[in-house]
Amino acid sequence: MTIIEKIFSRKTGGKKVKPGDYIWVDLSLVAMRDFGGPNVIQEYIRAFGDHPVFDKKRVAVTFDLHIPARNEKVAVNQKTLRDFVKQQGVHLFDVNTGIGQHILLENGLVKPWDIVIGTDSHMNLLGAVGAAGFGMGTTDVAGAMYKGRLWFRVPETIKIVVKGNAGEYVTAKDIILYILKRLKTDGALNRAVEFTGDAVERMTLAERITMSSMVTEMSGEVGFFETSAEVLDFIRSRTDEPISGLKADPDAGYEKAYEFVIDDLKPQIACPHSPDNVTEVEKKSGVKVNQVFIGSCTNGRFEDLKAAADILKGRRINKGVRLIIVPATAEVAAQAVEAGLYESFLKSGAVVTNPGCALCTTGHPGILAPGEVMVSTSNRNFIGKLGKGAEVYLASPVTAAATALTGVITPPGEI
Amino acid sequence: MTVKGRVWKFKDDIDTDQIYPGKYLPLTDKNEMAKHAMEGTEIGAEFLKDVKKGDIIVAGKNFGCGSSREHATVAIKGTGVSVVIARSFARIFHRNAVNTGLPIIELKEADEIAQSDILEVNCETGEIKNITQDRAYKGIPLSSLEMDIMKAGGLLEYLKKEELGGL
Repeated sequence: MTIIEKIFSRKTGGKKVKPGDYIWVDLSLVAMRDFGGPNVIQEYIRAFGDHPVFDKKRVAVTFDLHIPARNEKVAVNQKTLRDFVKQQGVHLFDVNTGIGQHILLENGLVKPWDIVIGTDSHMNLLGAVGAAGFGMGTTDVAGAMYKGRLWFRVPETIKIVVKGNAGEYVTAKDIILYILKRLKTDGALNRAVEFTGDAVERMTLAERITMSSMVTEMSGEVGFFETSAEVLDFIRSRTDEPISGLKADPDAGYEKAYEFVIDDLKPQIACPHSPDNVTEVEKKSGVKVNQVFIGSCTNGRFEDLKAAADILKGRRINKGVRLIIVPATAEVAAQAVEAGLYESFLKSGAVVTNPGCALCTTGHPGILAPGEVMVSTSNRNFIGKLGKGAEVYLASPVTAAATALTGVITPPGEI
Repeated sequence: MTVKGRVWKFKDDIDTDQIYPGKYLPLTDKNEMAKHAMEGTEIGAEFLKDVKKGDIIVAGKNFGCGSSREHATVAIKGTGVSVVIARSFARIFHRNAVNTGLPIIELKEADEIAQSDILEVNCETGEIKNITQDRAYKGIPLSSLEMDIMKAGGLLEYLKKEELGGL
Protein backbone atom coordinates (compact mmCIF):
# COMPACT_ATOMS: atom_id res chain seq x y z
CA MET A 1 0.00 0.00 0.00
CA THR A 2 1.01 3.63 -0.53
CA ILE A 3 1.32 5.97 2.46
CA ILE A 4 -2.20 7.41 2.16
CA GLU A 5 -3.66 3.91 1.75
CA LYS A 6 -1.80 2.80 4.89
CA ILE A 7 -3.08 5.75 6.94
CA PHE A 8 -6.68 5.28 5.78
CA SER A 9 -6.40 1.54 6.31
CA ARG A 10 -5.24 1.94 9.91
CA LYS A 11 -8.01 4.45 10.63
CA THR A 12 -10.67 2.06 9.37
CA GLY A 13 -9.48 -0.66 11.71
CA GLY A 14 -6.97 -2.39 9.43
CA LYS A 15 -9.31 -2.90 6.49
CA LYS A 16 -7.33 -2.98 3.24
CA VAL A 17 -8.35 0.05 1.22
CA LYS A 18 -7.70 0.84 -2.43
CA PRO A 19 -7.97 3.95 -4.61
CA GLY A 20 -11.56 4.82 -5.41
CA ASP A 21 -12.96 3.32 -2.19
CA TYR A 22 -15.30 5.55 -0.22
CA ILE A 23 -14.81 5.29 3.53
CA TRP A 24 -15.63 6.94 6.82
CA VAL A 25 -12.60 7.53 9.04
CA ASP A 26 -11.96 8.89 12.52
CA LEU A 27 -10.07 12.16 12.56
CA SER A 28 -7.07 12.95 14.74
CA LEU A 29 -7.61 16.70 14.77
CA VAL A 30 -10.06 19.27 13.41
CA ALA A 31 -8.64 22.78 12.96
CA MET A 32 -9.99 26.11 11.81
CA ARG A 33 -8.56 29.57 11.58
CA ASP A 34 -9.54 33.19 11.76
CA PHE A 35 -10.49 33.07 8.07
CA GLY A 36 -13.18 30.44 7.45
CA GLY A 37 -13.45 29.61 11.15
CA PRO A 38 -16.24 32.09 11.91
CA ASN A 39 -18.37 30.53 9.11
CA VAL A 40 -17.74 27.09 10.60
CA ILE A 41 -18.88 28.28 14.04
CA GLN A 42 -21.98 29.90 12.53
CA GLU A 43 -22.90 26.70 10.72
CA TYR A 44 -22.07 24.50 13.71
CA ILE A 45 -24.32 26.53 16.02
CA ARG A 46 -27.10 26.64 13.40
CA ALA A 47 -27.02 22.84 13.05
CA PHE A 48 -26.03 21.61 16.50
CA GLY A 49 -26.60 24.52 18.92
CA ASP A 50 -24.39 24.31 21.98
CA HIS A 51 -23.82 20.55 21.61
CA PRO A 52 -20.27 19.76 22.83
CA VAL A 53 -17.71 19.04 20.11
CA PHE A 54 -16.63 15.38 19.69
CA ASP A 55 -13.43 15.87 21.72
CA LYS A 56 -12.29 19.27 22.91
CA LYS A 57 -8.65 18.14 22.98
CA ARG A 58 -8.86 17.38 19.27
CA VAL A 59 -10.27 20.68 18.05
CA ALA A 60 -8.00 23.71 17.55
CA VAL A 61 -8.56 27.30 16.53
CA THR A 62 -5.57 29.19 15.12
CA PHE A 63 -5.28 32.89 14.36
CA ASP A 64 -2.85 33.20 11.51
CA LEU A 65 -4.17 35.48 8.82
CA HIS A 66 -5.46 38.92 9.80
CA ILE A 67 -3.53 39.33 13.00
CA PRO A 68 -3.89 41.33 15.12
CA ALA A 69 -7.37 42.36 13.93
CA ARG A 70 -7.05 45.36 11.64
CA ASN A 71 -10.69 46.35 11.29
CA GLU A 72 -13.96 45.95 13.11
CA LYS A 73 -15.30 43.08 10.97
CA VAL A 74 -12.18 41.02 11.60
CA ALA A 75 -12.30 41.85 15.31
CA VAL A 76 -15.91 40.64 15.49
CA ASN A 77 -14.97 37.41 13.66
CA GLN A 78 -12.11 36.80 16.05
CA LYS A 79 -14.38 37.41 19.04
CA THR A 80 -16.85 34.85 17.64
CA LEU A 81 -14.03 32.30 17.68
CA ARG A 82 -12.77 33.25 21.16
CA ASP A 83 -16.32 33.01 22.57
CA PHE A 84 -16.76 29.57 21.02
CA VAL A 85 -13.38 28.42 22.37
CA LYS A 86 -14.36 29.61 25.85
CA GLN A 87 -17.70 27.83 25.73
CA GLN A 88 -16.37 24.56 24.23
CA GLY A 89 -12.94 24.40 25.87
CA VAL A 90 -11.07 23.65 22.63
CA HIS A 91 -7.47 24.76 21.92
CA LEU A 92 -6.89 28.40 21.01
CA PHE A 93 -3.71 29.76 19.49
CA ASP A 94 -4.30 33.50 19.49
CA VAL A 95 -2.80 36.38 17.48
CA ASN A 96 0.60 36.02 19.14
CA THR A 97 1.45 32.53 17.85
CA GLY A 98 1.70 32.29 14.04
CA ILE A 99 0.69 30.07 11.11
CA GLY A 100 -1.76 27.35 12.13
CA GLN A 101 -0.19 24.21 10.65
CA HIS A 102 3.23 25.17 12.05
CA ILE A 103 1.70 25.92 15.46
CA LEU A 104 -0.07 22.54 15.51
CA LEU A 105 3.26 20.84 14.78
CA GLU A 106 5.18 22.83 17.38
CA ASN A 107 2.56 22.05 20.02
CA GLY A 108 2.64 18.31 19.47
CA LEU A 109 -0.92 18.14 18.10
CA VAL A 110 0.09 16.40 14.85
CA LYS A 111 2.12 13.22 14.41
CA PRO A 112 2.77 10.63 11.69
CA TRP A 113 -0.31 8.51 10.80
CA ASP A 114 -2.70 11.29 11.87
CA ILE A 115 -5.59 12.54 9.74
CA VAL A 116 -6.10 16.27 10.19
CA ILE A 117 -8.56 18.58 8.49
CA GLY A 118 -8.80 22.35 8.54
CA THR A 119 -10.11 25.41 6.74
CA ASP A 120 -6.82 26.19 5.00
CA SER A 121 -5.98 24.75 1.58
CA HIS A 122 -2.38 24.29 2.73
CA MET A 123 -3.24 21.90 5.58
CA ASN A 124 -1.53 19.32 3.36
CA LEU A 125 1.91 20.60 4.39
CA LEU A 126 1.44 18.29 7.40
CA GLY A 127 2.35 15.54 4.94
CA ALA A 128 5.92 16.63 5.66
CA VAL A 129 5.68 14.72 8.96
CA GLY A 130 3.62 11.82 7.62
CA ALA A 131 0.22 13.19 8.63
CA ALA A 132 -2.63 13.31 6.12
CA GLY A 133 -3.71 16.98 6.17
CA PHE A 134 -6.70 18.12 4.12
CA GLY A 135 -8.09 21.60 3.48
CA MET A 136 -11.88 21.55 3.55
CA GLY A 137 -14.99 23.67 3.28
CA THR A 138 -17.22 24.98 6.05
CA THR A 139 -19.71 22.11 6.13
CA ASP A 140 -17.01 19.45 6.29
CA VAL A 141 -15.27 21.16 9.19
CA ALA A 142 -18.51 21.82 11.09
CA GLY A 143 -19.66 18.21 10.63
CA ALA A 144 -16.24 16.85 11.57
CA MET A 145 -16.17 18.92 14.73
CA TYR A 146 -19.50 17.39 15.74
CA LYS A 147 -18.75 13.73 15.01
CA GLY A 148 -14.95 13.46 14.80
CA ARG A 149 -15.23 11.54 11.60
CA LEU A 150 -15.64 12.24 7.93
CA TRP A 151 -16.06 10.56 4.55
CA PHE A 152 -13.18 10.28 2.07
CA ARG A 153 -12.48 8.83 -1.34
CA VAL A 154 -9.15 6.98 -1.17
CA PRO A 155 -7.02 8.83 -3.75
CA GLU A 156 -4.61 7.35 -6.26
CA THR A 157 -0.96 8.11 -5.49
CA ILE A 158 1.60 9.71 -7.80
CA LYS A 159 5.27 9.01 -7.12
CA ILE A 160 7.81 11.77 -7.66
CA VAL A 161 11.42 10.60 -7.59
CA VAL A 162 14.08 13.29 -7.14
CA LYS A 163 17.69 12.23 -7.62
CA GLY A 164 21.08 13.87 -7.48
CA ASN A 165 22.82 16.69 -5.69
CA ALA A 166 21.58 20.26 -5.87
CA GLY A 167 24.21 22.92 -6.47
CA GLU A 168 24.85 25.93 -4.28
CA TYR A 169 21.81 28.23 -3.84
CA VAL A 170 19.43 25.57 -5.20
CA THR A 171 16.83 24.94 -2.49
CA ALA A 172 13.75 22.76 -1.95
CA LYS A 173 11.70 25.67 -3.33
CA ASP A 174 13.61 25.56 -6.61
CA ILE A 175 13.08 21.80 -6.81
CA ILE A 176 9.32 21.99 -6.22
CA LEU A 177 8.94 24.88 -8.70
CA TYR A 178 10.83 22.78 -11.26
CA ILE A 179 8.45 19.87 -10.59
CA LEU A 180 5.45 22.22 -10.98
CA LYS A 181 6.80 23.37 -14.33
CA ARG A 182 6.45 19.79 -15.60
CA LEU A 183 3.32 18.66 -13.76
CA LYS A 184 1.38 21.94 -14.14
CA THR A 185 -1.30 23.23 -11.79
CA ASP A 186 -3.57 20.23 -12.35
CA GLY A 187 -0.82 17.61 -12.58
CA ALA A 188 -1.77 15.91 -9.33
CA LEU A 189 -5.51 16.65 -9.43
CA ASN A 190 -7.18 14.88 -6.50
CA ARG A 191 -4.15 12.62 -6.03
CA ALA A 192 -1.81 11.93 -3.13
CA VAL A 193 1.85 12.49 -3.89
CA GLU A 194 4.89 10.67 -2.51
CA PHE A 195 8.28 12.31 -2.80
CA THR A 196 11.15 9.88 -2.84
CA GLY A 197 14.73 9.49 -4.11
CA ASP A 198 18.08 10.35 -2.53
CA ALA A 199 17.62 14.11 -2.98
CA VAL A 200 14.48 14.22 -0.84
CA GLU A 201 15.50 11.56 1.67
CA ARG A 202 18.17 13.99 2.90
CA MET A 203 15.73 16.90 3.21
CA THR A 204 15.26 18.65 6.56
CA LEU A 205 11.80 19.14 8.09
CA ALA A 206 11.76 22.74 6.81
CA GLU A 207 12.56 21.58 3.27
CA ARG A 208 9.90 18.87 3.42
CA ILE A 209 7.35 21.49 4.50
CA THR A 210 8.26 23.61 1.46
CA MET A 211 7.71 20.64 -0.86
CA SER A 212 4.49 19.38 0.76
CA SER A 213 2.85 22.79 0.94
CA MET A 214 3.16 23.26 -2.81
CA VAL A 215 1.31 20.05 -3.61
CA THR A 216 -1.77 22.30 -3.32
CA GLU A 217 -0.49 24.19 -6.38
CA MET A 218 -0.57 20.95 -8.41
CA SER A 219 -4.17 20.39 -7.21
CA GLY A 220 -2.90 17.41 -5.21
CA GLU A 221 -4.52 16.32 -1.95
CA VAL A 222 -1.44 15.75 0.16
CA GLY A 223 2.30 15.18 -0.34
CA PHE A 224 4.20 12.63 1.74
CA PHE A 225 7.76 11.52 2.47
CA GLU A 226 9.07 8.44 4.23
CA THR A 227 9.49 9.76 7.78
CA SER A 228 13.09 10.70 8.57
CA ALA A 229 14.96 10.47 11.88
CA GLU A 230 14.86 14.29 12.13
CA VAL A 231 11.09 14.35 11.73
CA LEU A 232 10.61 11.62 14.35
CA ASP A 233 12.95 13.43 16.79
CA PHE A 234 11.09 16.71 16.26
CA ILE A 235 7.67 15.14 16.91
CA ARG A 236 8.98 13.17 19.92
CA SER A 237 10.32 16.39 21.42
CA ARG A 238 6.78 17.83 21.27
CA THR A 239 4.57 15.05 22.59
CA ASP A 240 4.67 12.15 25.02
CA GLU A 241 2.41 10.02 22.85
CA PRO A 242 4.00 6.98 21.19
CA ILE A 243 5.28 7.81 17.72
CA SER A 244 6.02 5.53 14.79
CA GLY A 245 7.30 6.39 11.36
CA LEU A 246 5.75 5.30 8.10
CA LYS A 247 6.75 4.47 4.56
CA ALA A 248 5.08 2.91 1.55
CA ASP A 249 5.28 -0.83 0.94
CA PRO A 250 7.88 -1.83 -1.67
CA ASP A 251 5.08 -3.20 -3.87
CA ALA A 252 2.78 -0.21 -3.43
CA GLY A 253 0.68 0.65 -6.48
CA TYR A 254 1.24 4.08 -8.02
CA GLU A 255 -0.89 5.60 -10.72
CA LYS A 256 2.11 7.36 -12.29
CA ALA A 257 5.76 8.03 -11.54
CA TYR A 258 7.89 11.01 -12.52
CA GLU A 259 11.65 11.28 -12.21
CA PHE A 260 13.71 14.44 -11.79
CA VAL A 261 17.51 14.71 -11.74
CA ILE A 262 18.66 17.93 -10.07
CA ASP A 263 22.45 17.84 -10.53
CA ASP A 264 22.39 20.69 -13.04
CA LEU A 265 19.30 22.48 -11.74
CA LYS A 266 19.59 26.28 -11.51
CA PRO A 267 17.52 28.50 -9.18
CA GLN A 268 13.91 28.66 -10.42
CA ILE A 269 11.23 31.35 -10.38
CA ALA A 270 7.47 31.21 -11.07
CA CYS A 271 6.39 34.20 -13.14
CA PRO A 272 3.01 35.97 -13.05
CA HIS A 273 0.29 34.77 -12.79
CA SER A 274 0.63 31.01 -12.22
CA PRO A 275 2.80 28.85 -9.97
CA ASP A 276 3.58 26.61 -12.98
CA ASN A 277 4.82 29.49 -15.15
CA VAL A 278 8.35 28.57 -14.11
CA THR A 279 11.72 29.46 -15.60
CA GLU A 280 15.32 29.92 -14.43
CA VAL A 281 15.92 32.99 -12.27
CA GLU A 282 18.73 34.12 -14.60
CA LYS A 283 16.26 34.36 -17.48
CA LYS A 284 14.32 37.00 -15.52
CA SER A 285 17.45 38.71 -14.30
CA GLY A 286 17.10 42.49 -14.20
CA VAL A 287 13.29 42.71 -13.86
CA LYS A 288 12.62 45.65 -11.54
CA VAL A 289 10.97 44.77 -8.23
CA ASN A 290 9.15 47.03 -5.75
CA GLN A 291 8.82 44.61 -2.86
CA VAL A 292 10.21 41.32 -1.58
CA PHE A 293 8.41 39.04 0.91
CA ILE A 294 10.21 36.29 2.82
CA GLY A 295 7.92 34.08 4.91
CA SER A 296 4.61 32.11 4.57
CA CYS A 297 3.72 28.50 5.42
CA THR A 298 5.96 27.44 2.54
CA ASN A 299 9.15 29.31 3.46
CA GLY A 300 8.76 30.84 6.92
CA ARG A 301 10.84 28.39 8.99
CA PHE A 302 14.03 29.36 10.83
CA GLU A 303 16.15 27.65 8.14
CA ASP A 304 14.50 29.82 5.48
CA LEU A 305 15.17 33.03 7.42
CA LYS A 306 18.75 31.93 8.12
CA ALA A 307 19.37 31.23 4.42
CA ALA A 308 18.08 34.71 3.56
CA ALA A 309 20.17 36.29 6.33
CA ASP A 310 23.30 34.61 4.96
CA ILE A 311 22.76 36.42 1.66
CA LEU A 312 21.86 39.75 3.28
CA LYS A 313 24.68 39.63 5.88
CA GLY A 314 25.67 43.19 6.71
CA ARG A 315 24.49 44.61 3.36
CA ARG A 316 21.77 47.24 2.86
CA ILE A 317 18.82 46.45 0.62
CA ASN A 318 18.40 48.51 -2.54
CA LYS A 319 16.73 51.90 -1.93
CA GLY A 320 14.04 51.23 -4.51
CA VAL A 321 12.72 48.08 -2.83
CA ARG A 322 10.82 47.16 0.33
CA LEU A 323 11.78 43.92 2.09
CA ILE A 324 9.18 42.35 4.40
CA ILE A 325 10.25 39.38 6.50
CA VAL A 326 7.74 37.37 8.53
CA PRO A 327 8.64 34.30 10.63
CA ALA A 328 6.12 31.43 10.50
CA THR A 329 5.65 31.25 14.25
CA ALA A 330 6.60 32.96 17.52
CA GLU A 331 8.95 30.06 18.21
CA VAL A 332 10.71 30.63 14.89
CA ALA A 333 10.87 34.36 15.69
CA ALA A 334 12.46 33.69 19.09
CA GLN A 335 15.00 31.39 17.47
CA ALA A 336 15.77 34.06 14.88
CA VAL A 337 16.24 36.71 17.57
CA GLU A 338 18.58 34.43 19.48
CA ALA A 339 20.64 33.73 16.37
CA GLY A 340 20.99 37.47 15.73
CA LEU A 341 18.90 37.40 12.55
CA TYR A 342 16.53 40.19 13.61
CA GLU A 343 19.40 42.58 14.22
CA SER A 344 20.86 41.70 10.85
CA PHE A 345 17.47 42.08 9.07
CA LEU A 346 16.84 45.47 10.63
CA LYS A 347 20.33 46.69 9.77
CA SER A 348 19.72 45.60 6.17
CA GLY A 349 16.63 47.77 6.08
CA ALA A 350 13.94 45.06 6.26
CA VAL A 351 10.49 45.43 7.83
CA VAL A 352 10.00 42.48 10.19
CA THR A 353 6.39 41.90 11.25
CA ASN A 354 4.71 39.56 13.71
CA PRO A 355 4.54 35.82 12.89
CA GLY A 356 1.67 34.73 10.65
CA CYS A 357 0.61 34.05 7.05
CA ALA A 358 1.33 37.67 6.08
CA LEU A 359 1.52 38.40 2.35
CA CYS A 360 -0.43 35.42 1.08
CA THR A 361 -3.66 37.39 0.80
CA THR A 362 -4.85 40.97 0.69
CA GLY A 363 -5.64 41.03 4.39
CA HIS A 364 -2.14 41.88 5.50
CA PRO A 365 -0.07 45.08 5.53
CA GLY A 366 2.20 45.24 2.51
CA ILE A 367 -0.39 44.91 -0.29
CA LEU A 368 0.80 46.08 -3.69
CA ALA A 369 -0.41 48.97 -5.82
CA PRO A 370 -1.43 48.39 -9.45
CA GLY A 371 1.63 47.88 -11.63
CA GLU A 372 3.91 46.96 -8.72
CA VAL A 373 6.06 43.84 -8.76
CA MET A 374 6.92 41.54 -5.85
CA VAL A 375 9.17 38.56 -5.42
CA SER A 376 7.58 36.31 -2.79
CA THR A 377 8.59 33.06 -1.10
CA SER A 378 4.94 32.07 -0.69
CA ASN A 379 3.11 29.45 -2.76
CA ARG A 380 0.69 31.27 -5.06
CA ASN A 381 0.87 34.15 -7.50
CA PHE A 382 -2.69 34.21 -8.81
CA ILE A 383 -3.79 37.40 -10.47
CA GLY A 384 -5.16 39.98 -8.03
CA LYS A 385 -4.42 37.90 -4.93
CA LEU A 386 -2.12 40.55 -3.48
CA GLY A 387 -3.56 43.64 -5.07
CA LYS A 388 -5.28 44.42 -8.35
CA GLY A 389 -2.88 44.94 -11.23
CA ALA A 390 0.16 43.75 -9.28
CA GLU A 391 2.58 41.06 -10.43
CA VAL A 392 4.02 38.39 -8.14
CA TYR A 393 6.98 36.10 -8.79
CA LEU A 394 7.58 33.04 -6.57
CA ALA A 395 11.11 32.10 -5.56
CA SER A 396 13.29 30.73 -2.78
CA PRO A 397 14.37 32.78 0.26
CA VAL A 398 17.91 33.10 -1.15
CA THR A 399 16.71 34.38 -4.53
CA ALA A 400 14.33 36.74 -2.69
CA ALA A 401 17.14 38.08 -0.49
CA ALA A 402 19.48 38.56 -3.47
CA THR A 403 16.70 40.44 -5.26
CA ALA A 404 16.12 42.71 -2.25
CA LEU A 405 19.80 43.70 -2.34
CA THR A 406 19.77 44.77 -5.98
CA GLY A 407 16.14 45.84 -6.48
CA VAL A 408 15.92 43.67 -9.60
CA ILE A 409 15.40 39.91 -9.95
CA THR A 410 18.84 38.46 -9.25
CA PRO A 411 20.18 34.90 -9.20
CA PRO A 412 21.55 34.31 -5.68
CA GLY A 413 24.92 33.19 -7.04
CA GLU A 414 25.56 36.68 -8.35
CA ILE A 415 25.69 38.31 -4.91
CA MET B 1 -33.39 10.24 -9.93
CA THR B 2 -33.72 11.09 -13.63
CA VAL B 3 -33.61 14.68 -14.79
CA LYS B 4 -34.09 16.26 -18.19
CA GLY B 5 -32.83 19.66 -19.17
CA ARG B 6 -31.02 22.03 -21.46
CA VAL B 7 -27.22 22.31 -21.42
CA TRP B 8 -25.16 25.34 -20.42
CA LYS B 9 -21.67 24.60 -21.70
CA PHE B 10 -18.54 25.87 -19.92
CA LYS B 11 -14.79 25.53 -20.54
CA ASP B 12 -11.91 23.83 -18.71
CA ASP B 13 -10.65 25.04 -15.32
CA ILE B 14 -13.71 27.07 -14.33
CA ASP B 15 -12.58 28.26 -10.88
CA THR B 16 -14.64 29.19 -7.86
CA ASP B 17 -14.11 32.90 -8.54
CA GLN B 18 -15.81 32.49 -11.90
CA ILE B 19 -18.57 30.38 -10.37
CA TYR B 20 -19.10 32.78 -7.48
CA PRO B 21 -17.04 36.00 -7.47
CA GLY B 22 -15.33 36.83 -4.19
CA LYS B 23 -17.17 40.13 -3.79
CA TYR B 24 -20.41 38.27 -3.00
CA LEU B 25 -18.90 36.16 -0.21
CA PRO B 26 -20.71 38.15 2.51
CA LEU B 27 -24.14 37.06 1.15
CA THR B 28 -25.83 34.33 3.18
CA ASP B 29 -29.31 34.12 1.62
CA LYS B 30 -29.42 31.20 -0.84
CA ASN B 31 -31.75 33.00 -3.27
CA GLU B 32 -29.54 36.07 -3.29
CA MET B 33 -26.47 33.87 -3.80
CA ALA B 34 -28.16 32.14 -6.77
CA LYS B 35 -28.39 35.52 -8.55
CA HIS B 36 -24.60 35.47 -8.98
CA ALA B 37 -24.00 31.83 -9.96
CA MET B 38 -21.48 31.50 -12.83
CA GLU B 39 -21.39 35.31 -13.02
CA GLY B 40 -17.63 35.46 -13.56
CA THR B 41 -17.70 33.20 -16.63
CA GLU B 42 -17.79 34.37 -20.25
CA ILE B 43 -21.45 33.46 -20.63
CA GLY B 44 -22.36 34.34 -17.03
CA ALA B 45 -24.76 37.19 -17.88
CA GLU B 46 -26.62 35.10 -20.45
CA PHE B 47 -26.77 32.14 -18.06
CA LEU B 48 -28.24 34.22 -15.24
CA LYS B 49 -30.81 35.77 -17.56
CA ASP B 50 -32.05 32.51 -19.06
CA VAL B 51 -31.29 29.62 -16.69
CA LYS B 52 -34.36 27.53 -15.93
CA LYS B 53 -35.15 24.95 -13.30
CA GLY B 54 -33.82 21.58 -14.42
CA ASP B 55 -31.11 23.00 -16.71
CA ILE B 56 -27.77 21.19 -16.77
CA ILE B 57 -24.23 22.55 -16.52
CA VAL B 58 -21.60 20.75 -18.62
CA ALA B 59 -17.93 21.71 -18.29
CA GLY B 60 -14.38 20.57 -19.09
CA LYS B 61 -11.66 19.49 -16.70
CA ASN B 62 -11.02 20.63 -13.12
CA PHE B 63 -14.41 22.29 -12.61
CA GLY B 64 -14.55 24.19 -9.31
CA CYS B 65 -10.82 24.61 -8.78
CA GLY B 66 -9.59 27.43 -6.56
CA SER B 67 -10.90 28.37 -3.15
CA SER B 68 -12.89 26.21 -0.76
CA ARG B 69 -15.96 28.49 -0.78
CA GLU B 70 -19.19 26.53 -0.53
CA HIS B 71 -21.06 29.47 -1.98
CA ALA B 72 -20.13 27.97 -5.37
CA THR B 73 -22.23 24.82 -5.00
CA VAL B 74 -24.99 26.54 -3.02
CA ALA B 75 -25.37 29.26 -5.66
CA ILE B 76 -25.52 26.75 -8.56
CA LYS B 77 -28.09 24.68 -6.70
CA GLY B 78 -30.09 27.82 -6.01
CA THR B 79 -30.51 28.52 -9.75
CA GLY B 80 -32.43 25.26 -10.12
CA VAL B 81 -29.65 23.53 -12.09
CA SER B 82 -30.37 19.81 -11.69
CA VAL B 83 -26.90 18.31 -12.21
CA VAL B 84 -23.37 19.38 -13.09
CA ILE B 85 -21.46 17.19 -15.56
CA ALA B 86 -17.72 17.76 -16.06
CA ARG B 87 -14.67 15.95 -17.39
CA SER B 88 -13.24 16.25 -13.87
CA PHE B 89 -13.97 18.12 -10.64
CA ALA B 90 -11.63 19.76 -8.14
CA ARG B 91 -11.64 17.87 -4.82
CA ILE B 92 -13.10 20.53 -2.56
CA PHE B 93 -15.85 21.44 -5.04
CA HIS B 94 -16.73 17.73 -5.31
CA ARG B 95 -16.97 17.46 -1.50
CA ASN B 96 -18.95 20.67 -1.21
CA ALA B 97 -21.39 19.45 -3.87
CA VAL B 98 -22.07 16.29 -1.86
CA ASN B 99 -22.21 18.13 1.46
CA THR B 100 -24.62 20.76 0.19
CA GLY B 101 -26.72 18.42 -1.98
CA LEU B 102 -25.78 19.28 -5.60
CA PRO B 103 -25.66 16.20 -7.91
CA ILE B 104 -22.49 15.92 -10.03
CA ILE B 105 -21.30 13.39 -12.63
CA GLU B 106 -17.83 12.92 -14.08
CA LEU B 107 -17.86 12.25 -17.81
CA LYS B 108 -14.78 11.65 -19.97
CA GLU B 109 -16.69 12.64 -23.12
CA ALA B 110 -18.10 15.90 -21.68
CA ASP B 111 -16.50 17.87 -24.53
CA GLU B 112 -18.81 16.16 -27.05
CA ILE B 113 -21.86 17.77 -25.47
CA ALA B 114 -22.80 21.16 -26.95
CA GLN B 115 -24.49 24.32 -25.71
CA SER B 116 -28.32 23.99 -25.64
CA ASP B 117 -28.30 20.19 -26.18
CA ILE B 118 -31.12 18.47 -24.33
CA LEU B 119 -29.95 15.73 -21.98
CA GLU B 120 -31.69 13.09 -19.95
CA VAL B 121 -29.55 12.12 -16.98
CA ASN B 122 -29.85 9.43 -14.37
CA CYS B 123 -27.95 10.98 -11.47
CA GLU B 124 -27.63 7.67 -9.63
CA THR B 125 -26.35 5.42 -12.43
CA GLY B 126 -24.49 8.11 -14.40
CA GLU B 127 -26.34 7.23 -17.61
CA ILE B 128 -26.62 10.23 -19.89
CA LYS B 129 -28.74 10.43 -23.03
CA ASN B 130 -28.06 13.30 -25.40
CA ILE B 131 -31.45 13.63 -27.04
CA THR B 132 -30.34 16.40 -29.42
CA GLN B 133 -27.35 14.44 -30.74
CA ASP B 134 -28.89 10.99 -30.26
CA ARG B 135 -25.92 9.66 -28.30
CA ALA B 136 -25.57 7.91 -24.97
CA TYR B 137 -22.82 7.98 -22.38
CA LYS B 138 -21.97 6.37 -19.07
CA GLY B 139 -20.50 8.84 -16.60
CA ILE B 140 -19.20 8.27 -13.08
CA PRO B 141 -21.98 9.14 -10.66
CA LEU B 142 -21.55 9.83 -6.94
CA SER B 143 -20.74 6.80 -4.81
CA SER B 144 -23.54 5.26 -2.76
CA LEU B 145 -22.04 6.78 0.39
CA GLU B 146 -22.12 10.23 -1.22
CA MET B 147 -25.63 9.63 -2.56
CA ASP B 148 -26.80 8.84 0.97
CA ILE B 149 -25.36 12.11 2.25
CA MET B 150 -26.91 14.07 -0.58
CA LYS B 151 -30.32 12.47 -0.18
CA ALA B 152 -30.27 13.26 3.54
CA GLY B 153 -30.02 16.93 2.55
CA GLY B 154 -26.28 17.33 3.03
CA LEU B 155 -23.61 16.34 5.50
CA LEU B 156 -24.93 18.05 8.62
CA GLU B 157 -28.44 16.68 8.14
CA TYR B 158 -26.94 13.25 7.51
CA LEU B 159 -24.92 13.37 10.72
CA LYS B 160 -27.93 14.52 12.72
CA LYS B 161 -30.16 11.78 11.31
CA GLU B 162 -27.48 9.23 12.08
CA GLU B 163 -27.34 10.54 15.65
CA LEU B 164 -31.10 10.12 15.99
CA GLY B 165 -30.91 6.59 14.64
CA GLY B 166 -32.53 7.64 11.36
CA LEU B 167 -29.80 6.16 9.22
